[in-house]
Amino acid sequence: MNRVLILAAYNVRILLSERTWFVLAWALFGLQIAVYGSLMSKLVSTAVPNYFFFYAIGLMVITVFDSGADVGRHLVEHAHEGELPYFLSLPVSRGGFLAAQAIYGVANTMIKVLPPLIGVLWFVGDLTIQGAVFALISMFLLGLGITGIMVSMSFIAFKSVDIYSAFLAGLSALIVRFSTAFYPLIFMPSFYSPISIFSPLTYGADLTRWVLGFDPNFLLDPVLAAAVVTAVAVGTLSLSARIVDKVIEGVKAA
Amino acid sequence: MTIALVQHFYRPSPRTNVSPSLFAVETLSLSKRYGKTDALRGLNFTVNEGEIMVILGPNGSGKTTLLMILCTILKPTSGTAKVVGIDVVEDGTKVREVMGIAFQEARGFWRHKPSSILRFHASMFDIDPAKRQDLIERTMKDLELWESRDKLFMHLSGGQAKRLETAKVLIQRPKLAIFDEPTSQVDLRGKRKIWDKIRELRDQGSTIIVATNEVREAEYLADRVTILHQGQRVVCDTIPKLKDAIAGGDIVEVDFEDPVSEKLVDSLNGLGGEVSMSPEGNQLRAKVSRAEDWVPKMTSASYVAGAKIASIRITEPSLDDVFLHFTGKALADQP
Repeated sequence: MNRVLILAAYNVRILLSERTWFVLAWALFGLQIAVYGSLMSKLVSTAVPNYFFFYAIGLMVITVFDSGADVGRHLVEHAHEGELPYFLSLPVSRGGFLAAQAIYGVANTMIKVLPPLIGVLWFVGDLTIQGAVFALISMFLLGLGITGIMVSMSFIAFKSVDIYSAFLAGLSALIVRFSTAFYPLIFMPSFYSPISIFSPLTYGADLTRWVLGFDPNFLLDPVLAAAVVTAVAVGTLSLSARIVDKVIEGVKAA
Repeated sequence: MTIALVQHFYRPSPRTNVSPSLFAVETLSLSKRYGKTDALRGLNFTVNEGEIMVILGPNGSGKTTLLMILCTILKPTSGTAKVVGIDVVEDGTKVREVMGIAFQEARGFWRHKPSSILRFHASMFDIDPAKRQDLIERTMKDLELWESRDKLFMHLSGGQAKRLETAKVLIQRPKLAIFDEPTSQVDLRGKRKIWDKIRELRDQGSTIIVATNEVREAEYLADRVTILHQGQRVVCDTIPKLKDAIAGGDIVEVDFEDPVSEKLVDSLNGLGGEVSMSPEGNQLRAKVSRAEDWVPKMTSASYVAGAKIASIRITEPSLDDVFLHFTGKALADQP
């Protein structure tokens, strides 16, 4: 088997050994949409029809963000538990190493997102294979972009975990809170919307809603959304490949 | 260290005398800086194919930094490093294909078992799947890890984790094998096992670099020793030559059956070295550079003078003495 796949399989096996976390993530998702989703839906139903569905997709997109952040955290844990030097000494290119991390990220995202997606589509009576596949592709692209951002940033943590945590908290505040994950862009106050358009989650969430047939009047242009999500994925993965190759060093030793 | 006369004269020839044609490792003006600290300062260093090169130096001397650069984990600040002719910066993946490293700190996912860690390592290095399990089992048994094969990595003792680290390289049999302090935290019995396996690996054709600050380890393993101090190479040679380089380093003590004549003492003083006699006149102590040259001359002179020798003891300098001689500091005193 290809060495990149062996390395990815190693990471995925570790992932699958943590089944409790998946059950907790699904339970949390269910609780969130059952309580907040249905309540918010009643509150805003006059302004946004079918807000429950809008909210559920937004929550899935945030899960994609969290899974992408997990990849960066995974890399940082490898570094601090001493495994990163070992991985960097294995006969795979730095690009291959990054690809293995990305495969881990995709597996993590799909496991966390697929059951909620199927559950929500079934619940709203809109479960089709075509819809589910396109929604997954959209979230997959978004997940790659987030993974790229997180891996690019994770090298900060090799110097200080505290700085990385602070940076991640700030990034999360900006990317998640100012995105259209929970609110349509057309309802955003004018002083928020300029920030919102810089969040990749804005494009990922609206693209996913579009492929699932949500009212386009509440969404961004799907072509623009698809272009931005693809560009972010390609751009940040290229950047992280460069960073992994040029910047990340496994250990400092005297 | 006092050793028997016979052992002294029949030291095995270092393998490096076999005129290697290619450097397995070569660094040129290699430097590595961390912030304001220079870990390596213009290091020129070579390792011949098929030898065990021991890098001896205290903590902070740059040993681990050098090894990390050779296995492409760290990038040099300046200078070049090549492994079997491949530049570590330009073609890191190819370098990683031909080398294996046992890290100073054992590396493993805390919830994995030793056997699965080795299986993963073997698969990454394309070990024949048909032979993989047998090789892993044999290596684990050799290193007394077989009983612990189903323990989690986090439950292994420090010594077991270090042996597992060694096992990775042994099953891999790389062209260049690097061991960073391979027996720290390992008991004496375990040390011997690891040392013997490292020598066996050399005999199977691997070139080996061992970094250590343990003199015994260096003495047991080294074909050649490089002394590293404050990021620079102080000296590099075989252990006998390093010891011989210390003027008056060998101490020869001779017991005669009867007190010897002044004439014999004068003639022994003429052989070189510093000779002193006991007050009774039947015990001689000489500080010489090469006992193996001096002793035959001494025995001839004694025979001519009619003095009968009862016993000869030779004490040669240790690598600690060598380190002290070349750096002006004792190895044990370093931080």
